[in-house]
Amino acid sequence: MKKLSVLVLLIISSIQFAPGQGLYGPGQVKDDGRFAASTKQLNQFFRRFNAEESQDGLTRYYAGDEEYHNRELREKYINLLFDNQTSSIPQNLKQEFATLVNSENYPQFLNFHRENWFAEVSTVFLYKGKREDITLYMRLQPEGLGYEWVIDKVSFDSFKNFFNKQEGKGKPFLHPLSHELGFMNLRKALQDSKEPEDYTPKDYKPDYLTIFLYEIKNGNIKFETVKGVKFHFFQIENWYFEVSQFNRPGFNTGWLISSLTKYQNEEEKEVILNYIYDQE
Amino acid sequence: MKKHIQAFILLFFATTLFAAAQSDNISPQRKQAIDSLALEKVKDLSKYISIIGSKETQFSEANRVMDRAEELFAPGAEMGVSSINSQEVAYYPVRRYFERLMALNYDRVNISWYDIHYISDLERQPDGRYVGVVTIYQRFEGTSAETGLNYKDTTKKDITIYVEKKQTQVAGRTIEFWDVMLGDIRVTETSA
Repeated sequence: MKKLSVLVLLIISSIQFAPGQGLYGPGQVKDDGRFAASTKQLNQFFRRFNAEESQDGLTRYYAGDEEYHNRELREKYINLLFDNQTSSIPQNLKQEFATLVNSENYPQFLNFHRENWFAEVSTVFLYKGKREDITLYMRLQPEGLGYEWVIDKVSFDSFKNFFNKQEGKGKPFLHPLSHELGFMNLRKALQDSKEPEDYTPKDYKPDYLTIFLYEIKNGNIKFETVKGVKFHFFQIENWYFEVSQFNRPGFNTGWLISSLTKYQNEEEKEVILNYIYDQE
Repeated sequence: MKKHIQAFILLFFATTLFAAAQSDNISPQRKQAIDSLALEKVKDLSKYISIIGSKETQFSEANRVMDRAEELFAPGAEMGVSSINSQEVAYYPVRRYFERLMALNYDRVNISWYDIHYISDLERQPDGRYVGVVTIYQRFEGTSAETGLNYKDTTKKDITIYVEKKQTQVAGRTIEFWDVMLGDIRVTETSA
């Protein structure tokens, strides 16, 4: 019995104190540093951006650890988190951003559970027998005991082209005394017209997500595959950046910042969001 | 004897992770222990993949190993595969993926693993289970004797792990422990 206890203790201690062990064994291939350098998961992007892990990625730093949010480490990491090969982000803009987020008095960090970041997922669906590209915008929300990703918006050219609301004096309308006739002219508006959206308020915006779900439920849209993912961040005050995956030779690979923009106010932020969501 | 081994394994899990089971939050120390358990499962999977892919493995043995490998996974787990040329994901049930690997038309196959891995944080799902992702890299080499062609690729495997608190009865006592199951795997061909 004593021997068994010693064995149990030995196994436990070997498991608890060897977090770095993994697949290593005979026949292993040695990484020349490229995979170590690569930002392999978006999770690693968060940790590197915030300086919450060691340089080999094997040790997670928590609040209270000496290296947690260390400014020197962050400076190194943030410079590594830009796509330096294909994205044309000016060096001075990168520097301004890095200095701001890593400032001594008011450092800014990314937070997985906080709002103001979302995913853009390029997908392929079968719609009316044809393969069609549909973009889904996903966000994380609290639910039950934890969190879940949900579809927040949809962009699909066929849906967008489906609506063609006219404006001004040339547009079809229900005249202002229609009520006196008990709206009998609705027949002409809705039965004869091919564009019933002409009879909606000025601020009417089609809800593509609802149409998308309706079509899926009716079996008219069928999921085929995913072909790309990127992420949009608005968590740093007055800055927007996009994170994309770069699968290529070299050391500047994985999840990296592919676009960086500084905006002045909420209106400019709305312009960027409208561009990303591509609803009109 | 089998009963004794089972009891020992349960005791081992329970002892290692019992403190974590006291609360629903996972402390950094317990996270490290769970990471190690997850890596053990991933290590088992990588060993099984190497055996299934090897041309020296007999058909019956490969089938037996496929059964063992399948046991590592939560029901319904899928492999999502993409290549450099096509980023579109092709979906395979885990068993089908193994069968395709076994049926590859090479005379010699060598599957090896890079000495690097990455383990994400654990995030809690709405149902209370935790989920994480372990990333590993695999090198595949296949040689065809007839054509003399040699095919090589390196794939990144992002493996879902589900971490769940479970209960079992040992000698009339209820013991809680954390169990790790593998889930969907995203396989991406890399340019390495």
